[in-house]
Amino acid sequence: MTSVIGKSVKRTDTLGKVTGGAVYAGDVVLPGLLHGKTKRSTVAHARIKAIDTTKALALPGVKAILTHGDVPRVLHYGSPHPRSASVTQDQYILDTKVRYFGEGVAAVAATSEEIAELACELIEVEYEPLPAVFTVEDALKPGAPAIHDVGPGGNLVLDPFVVTRGDVEKGFAEADLIVEGEYGMGRPTPAYMEPNVCVCQWDPLGKLTIWTSTQSPFMVRGTLAEVLGLPLNKVRVLVDHMGGGFGAKQDLFQHEFLCALLAQRTRRPVRMEFTRKETFLGGRTRHPGTVWIRQGFKRDGTITAREAKVVFNSGAYGSHGPGVTAVGTAALTSLYRCENVRLEGRCVYTNTPIAGAFRGYGVVQTYYALDILMDEAAETLGMDPAALKLKNAVREGDVAPSNHPLTGHGLEDCIRRGMDETGWASRSSKPKAGRLRRGWGMGCEMHGSSAYPGIKEQGNAVVRMNEDGSVTLLTGTTGLGTGAHTALAQITAEELGVTFEDVAVVHGDTDVVPWDIGAFASHTTFMAGRACQMAAAQVKAKVLARAADRLEVSAADLEIRDSVITVKGVPGMSLTVREAIAAEKGIPAPQLLGEGSYHPTKSYSFGAHFVEVEVDTETGQVSVLQVVPVHEIGKVIHPIAAAGQIEGGIQQGIGHTLSEDFVVDHRDGRPLNASFVDYKMPLAMDMPPIRTIILETAPSDGGPFGAKGVGEDPIIAIGPAIANAIHDAIGVRFRHYPITPEQILAALEEKAGAQAA
Amino acid sequence: MTTTVPVTITINGEPRDLAVAPHRTLLDVLRNEAGLTGTKKGCDVGDCGACTVLLDDVPVNSCLVLAVEAAGRNVTTIEGIAPAPDRLHLLQENFMALGASQCGFCTPGIIVMAKALLDQNPDPTEEEIRFGLAGNICRCTGYTKIIEAIQVTARQMAAAGGETA
Ligand code: FES
Ligand code: FES
Repeated sequence: MTSVIGKSVKRTDTLGKVTGGAVYAGDVVLPGLLHGKTKRSTVAHARIKAIDTTKALALPGVKAILTHGDVPRVLHYGSPHPRSASVTQDQYILDTKVRYFGEGVAAVAATSEEIAELACELIEVEYEPLPAVFTVEDALKPGAPAIHDVGPGGNLVLDPFVVTRGDVEKGFAEADLIVEGEYGMGRPTPAYMEPNVCVCQWDPLGKLTIWTSTQSPFMVRGTLAEVLGLPLNKVRVLVDHMGGGFGAKQDLFQHEFLCALLAQRTRRPVRMEFTRKETFLGGRTRHPGTVWIRQGFKRDGTITAREAKVVFNSGAYGSHGPGVTAVGTAALTSLYRCENVRLEGRCVYTNTPIAGAFRGYGVVQTYYALDILMDEAAETLGMDPAALKLKNAVREGDVAPSNHPLTGHGLEDCIRRGMDETGWASRSSKPKAGRLRRGWGMGCEMHGSSAYPGIKEQGNAVVRMNEDGSVTLLTGTTGLGTGAHTALAQITAEELGVTFEDVAVVHGDTDVVPWDIGAFASHTTFMAGRACQMAAAQVKAKVLARAADRLEVSAADLEIRDSVITVKGVPGMSLTVREAIAAEKGIPAPQLLGEGSYHPTKSYSFGAHFVEVEVDTETGQVSVLQVVPVHEIGKVIHPIAAAGQIEGGIQQGIGHTLSEDFVVDHRDGRPLNASFVDYKMPLAMDMPPIRTIILETAPSDGGPFGAKGVGEDPIIAIGPAIANAIHDAIGVRFRHYPITPEQILAALEEKAGAQAA
Repeated sequence: MTTTVPVTITINGEPRDLAVAPHRTLLDVLRNEAGLTGTKKGCDVGDCGACTVLLDDVPVNSCLVLAVEAAGRNVTTIEGIAPAPDRLHLLQENFMALGASQCGFCTPGIIVMAKALLDQNPDPTEEEIRFGLAGNICRCTGYTKIIEAIQVTARQMAAAGGETA
């Protein structure tokens, strides 16, 4: 029986959040602080002929201006997972070219934000316009303007990513029915609440300290050091709290380099904070794209072959394009069992905002297509869609996208449980007439905990027991808001046999904590958690050895629970942890240090979402009435935090499917809705009740106490579930997102026309 | 370069003498002049509610209020919500216990808004709570646990006879 994990202990990180005391990067105040601003391009593709900063420099209060001639010219990785296959090396801090509307071309440091903004306006940039391409189709045309000199050419971010399994021709030859479709995806953005922000300061010895809102502080350290030519011990990255990132804050942004260089130039600390508009323009979005799929089926619903072509729009830089393309494409090997598979993924540069990492990392797009296609097939086969998905659900022993065998029957468990919970079999099938029409839909997903094999990851932890028996956990993981640090403290306490309150977490300072790859890929609890468990086990062994001495018994006969050490089978013989390790007779307490390093492979979490929608046939408005998400995530460490991830993912997924789309004008590449008013997200009035169900039926050997990841899963299945529910309600099949009211009305009109004819 | 105007604003019960430029927002002055960084800036144009404070007990987006407009008035920020330094407001307790705060960037604004809501309407329906939070963006939680924390607080306040903490 466990005593700390599996319980929703009070999250320690939220005390500062509810009182206003939590320090985010933008809250850091330093004496002499200057304010930095980025001058952004007003064209989508151009060579910079000249930049005149004279007027701007003459403005009182302006302390420094940087243009491409003033900064190191080092080709660097857009996202700081250097030398992994997931990211591209195609960026300069400031280039002599701009490749999208809103790209930084200069930076100013001034005594106030207003002056810095004014100075940006006074900088005169002379552009020599280059032909620009805003769509994948145009970028792939022969003779299309090349956006980059690097890469395989033809505006490809990477060579086509191909996966084959079995014999696709044979599979299609055996099919009784072939279903195919092309599905299109808009451009949702993470729209985290905290705009990107950093503060930089140099010390007299030439050491840079940067407070920044990042998910991967050690990656920021590594890339800054590489580009600025510094050893790693001269770059210190600090991040205590951050206001969301959802994947996008894995990238290293232009302003982080520029802020460091402005601080160096002025010898004063500098803060650079994005406006909300800049957070849209200079942020990272999900990859828009198309997914074409063809599947062969037997009459009984068995899938015989699957072929797919995935094309993602990377925007102006590669960022996570290779990783997103590989993960999204490879995901199509799985979810629904199929032995004969041929998949191809491509990712294409265009002169549009940069697409990067975003919760669900390519899988959101490809499973949207696959799951809707399954519903279409069910209709043709005359089968219930949930039954068809259940029949084909991947299970124990099947080969996962990562090429590992899957453990357990998580997906089947989720589908069955959701069908039970919603009374799926007897759900209303009454005629869908009248103004308000209701429908049910369901969708499925699976997602890996950790980025292996794309990145060979490593989770680290250092656990120290102090001489009073209290415990300090040092972790390099970031506090993205998920509650991961609480989960890590729970895991440490559980393994060590102390209480949750005994464990204090130290994080957020690259000079102090063990190296960490960053908070992404649903891996923090899974991977760093396992490292905590390993480190705690070492400390526990040392404590028990010491107690065994004192009690004159064998350490093997001892156990610790709630910080009390007892001898198995000998009631009354006990010692507190504190007593066991205390100093005595002038001899200090021992050094009790444990260190865990864990190299994970891969585990998969599963989910099935069941959704009821109501379509207003007069306005085209779709309301999500209720969602029943069922997730199988192995051992749950903190139930409330896990449920919170699921509910938040559903909110973003509803947005993706029904309203969110960051749109670029195809004439000049200018973004059209870079504000919260114009970029529509589901808010308090739009969110339905969510009845979250979490299953623990397929625990992972690789995770701490069997835990798996949950961060990304919930954003995936909600999309196809909604699209399928809309079809159930009004009989119209949409093969794209977002599905807007205008499109619903147009489709209903077309349908009515067709019926009348 | 800009001239400043002396103003006295009572912030969380304490009169503060501040010199503010006439164009500066209350949000900027709270964060930069008064040193109260609990109030967050999510958009600076009135679209997100992260900067919500009470101005004479009425919730406002402090990014849309000029600091000079707050002269002689009472401002309550997230730092002034707790009834005593060693005690949290019930809303704060419940936001923690029920997981209503994830990244926490929306939390100060939402708690301030929820306090105003409950002060006005101690027994709100779920619909009324959702309506009350219509201007507060949270991107992490799906609002499920936020609504729950406010409902639980309302019930506890009723049970305690209207006491808020
Ligand atoms: S910062 Fe004031 S409403 Fe967004
Ligand atoms: S908790 Fe992150 S925005 Fe609400």
